[in-house]
Amino acid sequence: MVLKVVLRNLQKHPFLNLVKVIGLGLALTGILFIALFLKNELTYDSYHQKSARTYRYTSTDPDFFSGKHFARIVNPGYIHEMSDALPELEEFVRLRPVRGGLIKYDQRYYKVAQAFECDSTFFNVFDAEMLMGNKETVLENPASMVITQSFAQKVFGDKNPVGEVLTLPSGQYYGEDQDFTIAGVMKDFPANSHFHSDFVATPLADQFTNGWAWTYLVLAENTTVENVKAGIFDYLKNNNETNPEEMDTEVHLQKISDIHLNSHKLREIEENSNIRNVYVLAIAAFILLLISISNYANLNIGMSGFSAKYLFINKLLGSSKSAVVKYFFFEGICILAAALFFTVLLSVPVNAAIVRFYQLNLLAGNSTTIFLLVLAFSLLTLVLGMLPVLKSVFSSIRLGGNRGSAVAVHRNGVSRVLIVFQYAFSIALIITVIVISRQTNYALKNSMGVQQNNVICFESVHASIQQKFAVLKAELLQYNSIESVSAMLEPPGGEANDMFPFEMEDYETEDPDRNFESIGVFPCDYSFPSIFNLQFLAGTNFSENNKDNEGSGEYIINKAAMKRLRYSNPEDIVGKDFKLIFSSPGSGITIPKGKIIGVVEDFHLSSLRKQVEPLVLFKRDKLWLLNFVVSVKAGMKDEALADMRKVWNELFPEYPFQYEHVDALYKRVYKTELLQARLLSVFTLIALFICSMGLFGLALIITQNRTKEIGVRKVNGARVSEIITLLNKDYMKWVALAFVIACPAAWFAMDKWLENFAYKTPLSWWIFVLAGILALGIALFTVSLQSFRAASRNPVEALRYE
Amino acid sequence: MIQLKNIDKYYDARFQRTFVLKGVNLDINQGEFVSIMGPSGAGKSTLLNIIGFLDEPNEGEYLFLDQPANQLKEKQKVQYHRSHIGFIFQAFHLIEEMNVYENIETPLVYRGVKGKERKAMVADMLDRFNIVAKKDLFPSQLSGGQQQLVAIARAIVGSPKLLLADEPTGNLHSEQGQMIMELLKKLNDEGMTIIQVTHSEENAKYGNRIVRLKDGYLKEDE
Repeated sequence: MVLKVVLRNLQKHPFLNLVKVIGLGLALTGILFIALFLKNELTYDSYHQKSARTYRYTSTDPDFFSGKHFARIVNPGYIHEMSDALPELEEFVRLRPVRGGLIKYDQRYYKVAQAFECDSTFFNVFDAEMLMGNKETVLENPASMVITQSFAQKVFGDKNPVGEVLTLPSGQYYGEDQDFTIAGVMKDFPANSHFHSDFVATPLADQFTNGWAWTYLVLAENTTVENVKAGIFDYLKNNNETNPEEMDTEVHLQKISDIHLNSHKLREIEENSNIRNVYVLAIAAFILLLISISNYANLNIGMSGFSAKYLFINKLLGSSKSAVVKYFFFEGICILAAALFFTVLLSVPVNAAIVRFYQLNLLAGNSTTIFLLVLAFSLLTLVLGMLPVLKSVFSSIRLGGNRGSAVAVHRNGVSRVLIVFQYAFSIALIITVIVISRQTNYALKNSMGVQQNNVICFESVHASIQQKFAVLKAELLQYNSIESVSAMLEPPGGEANDMFPFEMEDYETEDPDRNFESIGVFPCDYSFPSIFNLQFLAGTNFSENNKDNEGSGEYIINKAAMKRLRYSNPEDIVGKDFKLIFSSPGSGITIPKGKIIGVVEDFHLSSLRKQVEPLVLFKRDKLWLLNFVVSVKAGMKDEALADMRKVWNELFPEYPFQYEHVDALYKRVYKTELLQARLLSVFTLIALFICSMGLFGLALIITQNRTKEIGVRKVNGARVSEIITLLNKDYMKWVALAFVIACPAAWFAMDKWLENFAYKTPLSWWIFVLAGILALGIALFTVSLQSFRAASRNPVEALRYE
Repeated sequence: MIQLKNIDKYYDARFQRTFVLKGVNLDINQGEFVSIMGPSGAGKSTLLNIIGFLDEPNEGEYLFLDQPANQLKEKQKVQYHRSHIGFIFQAFHLIEEMNVYENIETPLVYRGVKGKERKAMVADMLDRFNIVAKKDLFPSQLSGGQQQLVAIARAIVGSPKLLLADEPTGNLHSEQGQMIMELLKKLNDEGMTIIQVTHSEENAKYGNRIVRLKDGYLKEDE
């Protein structure tokens, strides 16, 4: 019977109940997806059986790239012996990136996004589900390859790939073609793996002696990280150093499950996320939970007036307290059921969108988690939504007497606190969104080549294409649509990590025992400064060729490098003798001695999170120019792309034509921030929506409760505007109070967040004011709709109402 | 049945105490039909609420069936509401979300009367008050007099010993009012104790005793 009354009562206020349902549904959907996303983030690499004992080994040395911390180690040939020598190490695997980005099968080239040459122990360290082949033996032989399901599909379609041969083409990285035989097929690496290689393969011969490899160690059981570190340190000291006493190499071991969130080294396999994101999202989910539940409770308190009479009469007729509880419980269940239904409706398209944009199916395989989350949310909502109502209902039934009086919301402290609190969070969220968007925009705008909005990049092109750069450039420049063509070592957004020793006129090394110091270098085509509009502080641009004679080498340095070389006036350093020393015996590469010909303002090749490093630009011909950039004439992008495709297909018919816009490259760099900004704006919208709806509902209830007062005031000569002012005054006070609470909190949080960046936008006062005005505007708009309706009503109607 | 001894009811404002009832003594026996009269604000309704356990006195003693009311637990009060006391109001106070049948049935549900028996008792009431045809209507679809009939039916369906009526005819025109008063008189004749609050001397005469309240004092007891 109670249920029947509950349903009839719910039908009587469809709008207000809809507000409750939508609020809870939106919040639950948001919380659900955040929680599942966080679960995904926090469980990276923990699916490996030996995850708890698997560590990535890295080392730093102040003499090696000035102590820069790379995610991989150089010349890892010794790992094998080291592992034999240290009983604390159970297993190891080295992953060498397969470079060049292309693999050949049956005369066709296929793009390889990521792949490794590895030790035969790969599957002893990492778990993977084999679809074909035996885990224990597939990688036993050299030149064996295990490919993933999706890669197999891409190259072979439905054909059985086992036994087929894939060829890494010769070129810059490989002296001659390298053939690999496919021995097995495995499932794709899951989303929460810190790498997603298309295949792993054992090398033809032991190629781990030179170059770089990510190195993973599985520690024996019952040993500690410190033990192993000390063991590795001693091993290095005794075996690798010529001068053991002076070794200042530091050994680092990082748990693989920490890599995704807590590793910010150079040359990570993939761009990692950041533990701060997890915090931001967790806080956002928590805020959403608080806002939605407080909103729900608030509306419940407001609407309890509608059932007050029913409850009062029931008391007269002899109902006990438990009947009241039962009533509100059923009401809560009904609302919750509707909200759950709404959540289901929302989740399907939201999940589809996430799958599409992030290749992440959060709903799959998480049914237990989802069930627990929904259950927890339901219980919390039910209990927290009912408590304040019961409290106020019990007190009002006792005191209210036989008038069956509605609970007077405008005098109710709980509601006011809840509203202020909701608005405080909303204002803080608005501020956060503005600051994060501004900073991301600022970072993108100031990145090299983004503002021009006409630069297209060919990333890491194949060696044989690199050799023909001059031809490509000449061909392209014949087209009217192409403005300029250049090439360089690192793509926009990449890391310029390479350092060479240098010599300079009148420059003395800090440590007199050492002959050379190193400085960051950046080989490029002569048109690099012009294509990216680098600002010259002094001196001139490169001369228009890529080959310099010995003695007339041209060097352009950035401002950071000028300071590094201890000059303060750019004019003074131009013309100084300068030389970079490249020592790789047998390579036959020399860099001509020459002069510093120009100083440019610092430019942001890499992320704005880091300080701009000193950088020396110099020209090379057919060497180290891995990335091509093309700028197109304004408004001719489509034409230019067509022209480029034509030239490319004429010159390099066997290679796929793949390009990126420069801003897309930088968006990759700021992926985390962009995601944060996007997610937070969604949450802010949801939060604001819930708040506004809640406020709208409350305003409706309050004006209803004050109908008689309004009528009396009007009869006594109050104007509509005066009534609206009267009704709106309270809300303005609430929002103002919320603003005062929100500002310092938001300021503190954003100040911390901006510390991520070496270059940042200021936390201007207007951001706060804007957020406040926005919140106030939304609140006033919502409330005024109600106030106006109430105020413009004919007072006779209102008074007859009693 | 009801003994009120030196009942005080007051509200404390900041600097002053406002008495609603002051030193009220009143004995009501089983089977009486008492009319409480007095000007607005005299404390009539408050007195009725105290008798009906909807309010509590600040001072004094209230004995209901020789039980001191201030010692009653919440549960016992609920029991009294279920089985001993019925209420009627000026504003009817029917449950808007329930139809006529359900309104009358509600107190029986709380008393734990079985479904079949309940049906019979409600049917009896509908029959008695001649409102069988209206049993599926909602209160808003009824006239004032009809609503008050339903309210009385609801109040007496559980055959309470005491019926408290707060201006039962206040919202009705005289003809309807007269009908309601006749009905109350009849119930009293059948043995039900009735206490009504009224402004009308005429209605008061249906009772067999008139109590006058003025400014919180019991002035006259005829």
